[in-house]
Amino acid sequence: MAMSVSAPRCLQWSDREDYQLEDYEAEVPRWCTGCGDLAILAAVQRLCRDEQLPLEKLVFVSGIGCSSRFPHYMKTYGFHGLHGRALPVAEGIKLKRPDLHVFVNTGDGDCCSIGAAHWLHAIRYNMDMTVLLHDNEIYGLTKKQASPTSPRGLKSNTTPRGTHLEALNPLSTTLGVANVSFVAQAVDWVPTVLYEIISQAFHHKGLSFIRVVQRCPEFLPTHFDPWMHDPDRLLMLTHEDGIQASPELSRTYKQQEVHDPGEMNRAREIASLKDQIPVGILYRNDEAPCYEDVVGSGPPITGPEKIQASVEAELDKFTVWPPSEGREGRG
Amino acid sequence: MSAGLRALVRFHLTGEMEGDDRRADSRLRSALLAPYRDLSQLRYDYPLVLVEGSAGGGFVRSLSSVVDAVLREIAPEGGQGERLRKHLLRLEAAMRALVAEGVEATLSELWRLAEHELLSQCDEEAAGQLRESFGQAEAAGLVDGRVIDCDDGTPSQLFQHAWDAVQHERSRRALEEIEGLLLRLSDILKADFQKSEEAKAPKNLRRSVGIRFEESFDFEALSRVLKTSSSEGSLSESRRERIRSVLSVLESQRFFALPTDAEGTRDQAAPHSFVFDSCTRAWEVFRERVPEMLELLKAIAIAELELENRYRESEHDALFGRFGETSLTPEDLARFPSYLIRLHDKDCEEREKARLIDVLSSGLPLKILVQTSDILGKPSLGDGQFALGVRGMQLASMAVGLNSCFVLQSPSSDLYQMRDRILGGLTYPGPALFSVFTGAVENAPDLPPYLEAASAVQSRAFPVLAYDPGAGGDWASRFEVTGNSQAEADWPVHSFSYEDADLQRVSEEIAFTFADFVASDRRYAGHFAPIPREDWDESLIPVREYLGLAEEEAARAVPYVSVVDENDILQKLVVDQKLIRATRRCAEMWRGLQELGGIQNSHALNLLERERETWEHERERELDELREQALREPRAAVAPPATAAGEAAPLVMQPSEPETDTETEPRSSDEPYIETPRCTTCDECTVLNSRMFAYDENKQAHIVDPTAGTYRELVEAAEACQVCIIHPGKPMNPDEPGLDELTRRAEAFN
Repeated sequence: MAMSVSAPRCLQWSDREDYQLEDYEAEVPRWCTGCGDLAILAAVQRLCRDEQLPLEKLVFVSGIGCSSRFPHYMKTYGFHGLHGRALPVAEGIKLKRPDLHVFVNTGDGDCCSIGAAHWLHAIRYNMDMTVLLHDNEIYGLTKKQASPTSPRGLKSNTTPRGTHLEALNPLSTTLGVANVSFVAQAVDWVPTVLYEIISQAFHHKGLSFIRVVQRCPEFLPTHFDPWMHDPDRLLMLTHEDGIQASPELSRTYKQQEVHDPGEMNRAREIASLKDQIPVGILYRNDEAPCYEDVVGSGPPITGPEKIQASVEAELDKFTVWPPSEGREGRG
Repeated sequence: MSAGLRALVRFHLTGEMEGDDRRADSRLRSALLAPYRDLSQLRYDYPLVLVEGSAGGGFVRSLSSVVDAVLREIAPEGGQGERLRKHLLRLEAAMRALVAEGVEATLSELWRLAEHELLSQCDEEAAGQLRESFGQAEAAGLVDGRVIDCDDGTPSQLFQHAWDAVQHERSRRALEEIEGLLLRLSDILKADFQKSEEAKAPKNLRRSVGIRFEESFDFEALSRVLKTSSSEGSLSESRRERIRSVLSVLESQRFFALPTDAEGTRDQAAPHSFVFDSCTRAWEVFRERVPEMLELLKAIAIAELELENRYRESEHDALFGRFGETSLTPEDLARFPSYLIRLHDKDCEEREKARLIDVLSSGLPLKILVQTSDILGKPSLGDGQFALGVRGMQLASMAVGLNSCFVLQSPSSDLYQMRDRILGGLTYPGPALFSVFTGAVENAPDLPPYLEAASAVQSRAFPVLAYDPGAGGDWASRFEVTGNSQAEADWPVHSFSYEDADLQRVSEEIAFTFADFVASDRRYAGHFAPIPREDWDESLIPVREYLGLAEEEAARAVPYVSVVDENDILQKLVVDQKLIRATRRCAEMWRGLQELGGIQNSHALNLLERERETWEHERERELDELREQALREPRAAVAPPATAAGEAAPLVMQPSEPETDTETEPRSSDEPYIETPRCTTCDECTVLNSRMFAYDENKQAHIVDPTAGTYRELVEAAEACQVCIIHPGKPMNPDEPGLDELTRRAEAFN
């Protein structure tokens, strides 16, 4: 792990409490203008500012892909690493440093293709972290190749005659895994709801999985137009334990359903909707056990306790033990 | 005003300039055409392959699409297929060059010629590799057919080929029917013959048994025995005669060429021809053939009745006796080949034109191809009065007005793209008019016909339009102008890059107007005058923008077109007032077509405006009611309830900016604004102008200074914004050029 800021700056900030949005901004994002990743970045930075999260207590972990450049743009700890392995790295961090807020940014290829095995087990382990699946249904970094979530028939550079299979549904898949605790869906073009969902996910204890449906202006510029231009094709999931749409939002998004996030069966039905994109919290179970709580985080690797223990162990080698009965007998 | 500028203004207004040496050079072409000096180096729709033995939309393929199809089949993606791709693309380029040199051949012949040429240019090892690649391609199976380039003869060849493809399919179906009838009717007569005395004669019985066993039988005795059996059930003489007569009509008909029968007894006269070069002749021939058509239709109908033994003489004799010309229906006519009439505008006499209108309004399946090689016409009235539209547009407009005639107008450059429409017209049951501009203009010898034709469609001088009465009952289904480039706009705009005097790259957007199209025609060189480089300043306005200027502004401006000479040196030409008027007229005609095609339809826009006003009025009323209600209710009732410390407040999505301000002070629709809470931080507007647009504390965009940029930037930002939340309002600077167009574009976002 490498921190994106210099140590003196970090010290300057250590006693500071009024974080501004700029404090979380690192370099200028290299994403294309119009990219949905920018909306997610803005929402996450706003959350950090609103929650006044200390920079040194945040870590963003990603795999490979356009969206996986996310840690570069946060002035916090980050790990931009192995393709498909963002989740195991994040789990390792969380296991050893439960005090850190762990975010995972993963794309539809990174999570649902090469990293699919880790994805399923991370859901089951339910470690306390926020996972953002940036799903634009295409591989943008490799210049328009089909991804597991590309809809059937989509023509891409790897499928010039159109994809042959039905797309993988990340929501249904996640909801099918044992010990799942939080599943939500947002779209990048409704930023207020995106922010609220990320906020609720952050406050959830356990692994919160958010699929963000996002546009790729470069390779699928009109792919989501039918949904963007027709508010009636967005289904707002509202509930007192979930998202509550403001009157301004309700005027635009009239298709709403009061959905109790505790209802798994209905959540699975909603996840399977074809024509509409459901937006909101599909499922939440605050009682699901977290792996780190069950197994514990092991002995501390740093800090006074560890130093104390190490010094004690070294000194013990030279300790003249008080004579015990056995020794006395031999001596 | 400088002396140079004064001279340009004088030329613009009067078309007069001191000294003939300042007249425009006639070897100029529009700047946008500069990159297309050598078409044989480009992959585009031409040359075309007229595919043999193909029905449906595959009757014509572009050479590129044939090569691409082979490559898709045999060349794997990635490095493995790279060599095959390179080899076949080289071969394609060689074939293209041969066609450009005037070689007329089929694809397979052309392939061999090009292959031979390439192989002769390389060493043995390279030749071996090439041979291997070409062999693989040929093994994949190539289509074959004549290869044609874009020239004066293209429309004629292409339509003849398409017509052949359509007729081939129609003949196949008709022959299948006729041959079936012939066979089954002959069987009735054969069965009847077996009951006759003649069939039971010893000689006939011997023939039916064959040579091998003839010694085993006593045919005389057999005949005697058989003759004692009953002959009941044989056909009546009148029925037999009727069936013979029907057989005779079916066999002698000349509309479809019957294959020679096994016995060689069929005696069919040479089939009719259906392709003509004159409307009058085609019309006469059609009339002459009507009795034959009636005979054949009657014969088929009687044959069908006879086969099912449903012919009742008492009833049907009278019915078929009355069957005449007036009984013909479009479905009956559709069973016969349609007539293809190929006309050339320049050879078309007045009488022929009058007959053309008769033919088109007749409702008969006559397909007329009118080729035009000059849509501008010769300068006639006054000095260079344009005969714009008289030759091309009027014909198509007139045919569309007939309501039941299929119409396709397209220059030859777009015919490949229109191939489905061509088939649609040829299979349409009624008359069809295909008006084609060939682009082979004598007066623009430097421009290949393809470029001339493409320029005509780009400049809206000869737009692509299709009217298909069979597609539906309303104009929205029938009429289409979407085949034109940037059909939503008045003129298509393209980017143009060049190197300036300081060897720096300069890019600009150039509209291709009617004036740009005329610039390459030497007959109209007098309407342009070159502008000396030292006079290039801001008083020069491109024609597209000039047309949008108010009268006062136009008086101070000089319209110009950008052209290049034979050395590709950029020049600007001032355009005189007459040509500007013609350009304006061309734009008006195009707008008329746009409206018919549903683009910026004035009725629809008026209705939309009325609805918007009603909606705004209704909204105002609702807002007033809400304000009154808010004033009546005590303030405490709307205050948010206090939450206990530490208790999580219910999450309600609030916009990042307080909305109360906008509700109490309704925003004027003249001011530009952004619906900030809906901003997705996509960077589109801030990249466009960071002084005008900026992010707020939530990293969502708002307008910081509407005067920090142009109205154009506001409109462009609104168009670029993917969530459509930028509202450009009204322009603040009335002097900004092109405001009319910008205001129109902004309407969708205000």
